[in-house]
Amino acid sequence: MLSLLILVPLAALILLNLPLKEALRKWAFPLALAIALAQVGTVLFAPSSLRSASPFLEQLVSLTLQAGNLSLVLLLCIGIVMFTALLVAKPMIQGPRPWFNFINVLLISLIGMNGAVLVTDLFSLYVFLEVTSVASFVLIAFNRDRDALEGAFKYIVLSAVATVLMLTAVALLMLMAGGTGFETIRLTLAGTNANLLAKIAVGGFVCGLFIKGGLVPFHGWLPGAYSAAPAPVSVLLAGIVTKVSGIYALVRLATSVFPPSGPLNHVLMLVGAVSIVVGALAALGQSDMKRMLAYSSISQVGYIVLALGCGTELAVAGAVFHLFNHAIFKSLLFVNSAALEQRLGTTDMNRMGGLGSRMPWTGVTSTVAALSTSGVPPFAGFWSKLIIIIALWKAQDYAYAWIAVLMSVVTLAYFLVLQRKVFFGKVSRELAEVHEASFALVFPAVVLAAITSGVGVLLPWMLDSFLLPLKTIL
Amino acid sequence: MSPTALLLLPILIPLAAGVLVLLVRWSSGRAQGALALLATIGSLLTAIYLFSKDLSCSLPWGGMGMAFALRADRFSAFILLSAAALALLVTLYSFKFMIGRRYPGQFYCYLLLSLASLSGAVLADHLVVLLFFWEGLLATTFGMIAIGRPGAFKTATKALIIVGITDLCLLLGIALTGVAAGTLILSKIRLPLDSLASAAMLLMMIGAISKAGAMPFHSWIPDAAVDAPLPFMAFMPGSLEKLLGIYFLARISLDLFQMTPGAWISMVMMIIGAATIVLAVMMALVQKDYKRLLSYHAISQVGYMILGIGTAVPIGIVGGLFHMLNNAMYKSCLFLTAGSVEKQAGTTDLEKLGGLARKMPVTFACFFVAALSISGVPPFNGFFSKEMVYDAARSRHVAFYLAALVGSFFTAASFLKLGHSAFLGRRRAENDGVKEAPPSMLLPMIVIAGSCALFGLVDAIPVRHLIEPAVRNSAFAAQHWTEPHSFAGWHLNAILVILTLISLAAALLNHLLGARIGGGGLHAADHIHHAPVLSGIYARAEQRYFDPYDIGMKFAMAISRGLWGVDRGIDWCYDRLAVAIAGTFSRGIRLAHTGDYATYALWCVAGAAAVIVFLAMAV
Repeated sequence: MLSLLILVPLAALILLNLPLKEALRKWAFPLALAIALAQVGTVLFAPSSLRSASPFLEQLVSLTLQAGNLSLVLLLCIGIVMFTALLVAKPMIQGPRPWFNFINVLLISLIGMNGAVLVTDLFSLYVFLEVTSVASFVLIAFNRDRDALEGAFKYIVLSAVATVLMLTAVALLMLMAGGTGFETIRLTLAGTNANLLAKIAVGGFVCGLFIKGGLVPFHGWLPGAYSAAPAPVSVLLAGIVTKVSGIYALVRLATSVFPPSGPLNHVLMLVGAVSIVVGALAALGQSDMKRMLAYSSISQVGYIVLALGCGTELAVAGAVFHLFNHAIFKSLLFVNSAALEQRLGTTDMNRMGGLGSRMPWTGVTSTVAALSTSGVPPFAGFWSKLIIIIALWKAQDYAYAWIAVLMSVVTLAYFLVLQRKVFFGKVSRELAEVHEASFALVFPAVVLAAITSGVGVLLPWMLDSFLLPLKTIL
Repeated sequence: MSPTALLLLPILIPLAAGVLVLLVRWSSGRAQGALALLATIGSLLTAIYLFSKDLSCSLPWGGMGMAFALRADRFSAFILLSAAALALLVTLYSFKFMIGRRYPGQFYCYLLLSLASLSGAVLADHLVVLLFFWEGLLATTFGMIAIGRPGAFKTATKALIIVGITDLCLLLGIALTGVAAGTLILSKIRLPLDSLASAAMLLMMIGAISKAGAMPFHSWIPDAAVDAPLPFMAFMPGSLEKLLGIYFLARISLDLFQMTPGAWISMVMMIIGAATIVLAVMMALVQKDYKRLLSYHAISQVGYMILGIGTAVPIGIVGGLFHMLNNAMYKSCLFLTAGSVEKQAGTTDLEKLGGLARKMPVTFACFFVAALSISGVPPFNGFFSKEMVYDAARSRHVAFYLAALVGSFFTAASFLKLGHSAFLGRRRAENDGVKEAPPSMLLPMIVIAGSCALFGLVDAIPVRHLIEPAVRNSAFAAQHWTEPHSFAGWHLNAILVILTLISLAAALLNHLLGARIGGGGLHAADHIHHAPVLSGIYARAEQRYFDPYDIGMKFAMAISRGLWGVDRGIDWCYDRLAVAIAGTFSRGIRLAHTGDYATYALWCVAGAAAVIVFLAMAV
């Protein structure tokens, strides 16, 4: 059944592009929306169906697919964010032709991401990451203006660096193990602990993933790409694409493929901490909302990698929980920025102010997201940060725990700057006529805000069913 | 009626009436006054019914082994009776006095709640219950002062802080007593004065004498005299708080702790008593306001009671308690005359008064009797109680006796001055229209003044029936007062009586001399006021150099200024330093992001190289 997650979007893509009547294209949006919703529904209500194998379909793809708990969390996030991005795109992408193309590229991106979280060998992982990345290049440059092209170009250049690093690593590992399956590599690396080539290969692959995930100092492409991309693409990139292509792969490899190693954990923690600090401080100085959110993403991803580097069961559970929360609240913030862009035509915060009274839904949901990101109870972000900090403290990484706490304060600081500049205060005269964004932008914002506050409030009941099983991903 | 219900009545009647009074909506004050009058009559009848009965009850309360234990014995019944009688008279007096004044409803509410609190505190047989009602009295004191003239709130706060701090001492003392005795039931505690028990007693004594208004916890009383409604002064610092404070002082001295003349705490009490007598009366002498002058006497007279009980000999204790009763009578009477003068003449400033005796003859007569009584002129009641205290003080040390005698001399001198300047002398033209006070205000004064004379002429009535049974009942009397004779009647030391009479004569001479030098009754004490050393001390006292509250407030202000500075420093760290640091880093990072993809690619490569080298080199 797992292969359906890849095959259904693929089939839809082919069906839509058959040389049939133009009338079929009208169904593109509902079809894509239905695929995203079906993915969410399957993960939530029928996860067991994803575990059973169907010989016929498996032979069709000739890939070994597998879905652990971690993959399920990611599939859920992919479905939610894809659904959100589609809704946000509806009012933001103008013209039938670009709109049809946009949906097609989104479906390709969906195929890439679903494949990446399901495959069980290193080379297939690389292939699906590249599928996702190529889709992202197109999406970033979708508007074809100067900034968009520049952002896409930077992403291509740095992705090329990542490709070099990852392909080299795959080649070296294949040389040593004779295959690229996760299990084969794990057994081989466990036997050759002190092998120099193995270490270089692991380092190379991890650095490639750092670039994809946008961690400092590998993050150069990220702020430009996020801020230049069209609003729905920003939602998709920040919410899920970099998480799947960078962070999921890191979690998967570091916990169950690469041998447990102190130095690798040190690298992860250091890179994570540096990302947290640099991202938060950089966000503090931004005046463009999307740039600020982009740097904020770097900072939040830093938390995930820091916890991953800590390596204890609790820390990894916190990392995955934060990954989920980040997908929700960062998508929400980008939806809010899309709403502002729709009504004001800009994301420059210096030209906003007092919009809370004019756009109440956007204002309230963005406050919820900001509080959740900053780790204010009772929102979901509070719990994941709390788990990460407790795990760091228990592992006696006191300095990193302090950095995590202090930078959460800075997070709150830059979000307060955002709220004050955009939503609080009195509305100026030229903004007096602004009104609430369209339903397609408000609806996903409300749903996402409900998820992030609902998960936070209901966590005590979800602890046993949702969070603790995360430990069993190891 | 069951003993439980009977013991609860003196608390519940004024409590319920006090709450009801607040519900009355007419603002004239008549309806509230009538309700309060009914309640106080009810309280008095209950107190009479309770008298000479020995009852106790205990209700579960508060958990943790605490019980709402009440007990009425001869001592508490005697205090209850006095308080209820005074409450009735003051309410009667206020009926006319409060008409047209601010907040009559609140006034009667506080008055009735004060009576309820006092009844509860006096009847309490559990120290926590006692503390509960004790604090109730503090709350009503605060309220009573606060509803006075505009600006009285500051004085109310002062009273609350001073008495609140000493009540904290009482709380600690109760806790220590509980530790030492293993119980908080009053009637089961009887501790020898070892070091822990002495500390407990000292702390409780501070609470008790502060409630009674002794130095150095007195400084709110003269301020309240000016700010609060006048019946409050007659009722609370004049009588009710003295009754409660001295009652509790006697309780701890007689029952809770085995106090003997040899105990150091007895010496402490005598020194406080003697100092309070002399210092407060010296301040009273130079006051130029009717109410302020009386308020210093309200402080000074406490000294006699504390001195009497502190001597720890039977005659002193009986004398101290007798003085408490007498003081409650003549002091409230004196404050009531001040109220009459204020209501009729519109002022209590002695500069603007004079020659009122002819216009207000009944008020003057009552004032005269009460003044003779407080000055200790035979055969009025104050004379007998003071003589007992003198006798006891002399038996401990002659210095205490001399202090008490000097106090008596100045008391007489200051009342000669007050009477002369307010009621005698030349009448000012604007006071020609002054009339006698209405009968409902005169009646309480007449009753009290008559009682002063009665309790003096036949001192057997209070001494034999009220005070001695209360003292006899105590554990102290069982050990130290075994001989059966009574102190009532003329069993007085002849030499002491002669010395008293000489000092009174000297006071009269001093006044006549002073009035001739100063020109008029008001300036009769000026030669003492302006005496070489005293004038400097007086000047400083009037600038409040010696007010412990002001000293404490200055100290607190200095601390808070220091803390304010620290706070500004912390604020600066957050508002300036942290922002500057974050801003600097933020700017640096922004400058590093040039947007040049070659730079970014270089970062990636350098980073990847560093990671790979680190992993390869690491063992």
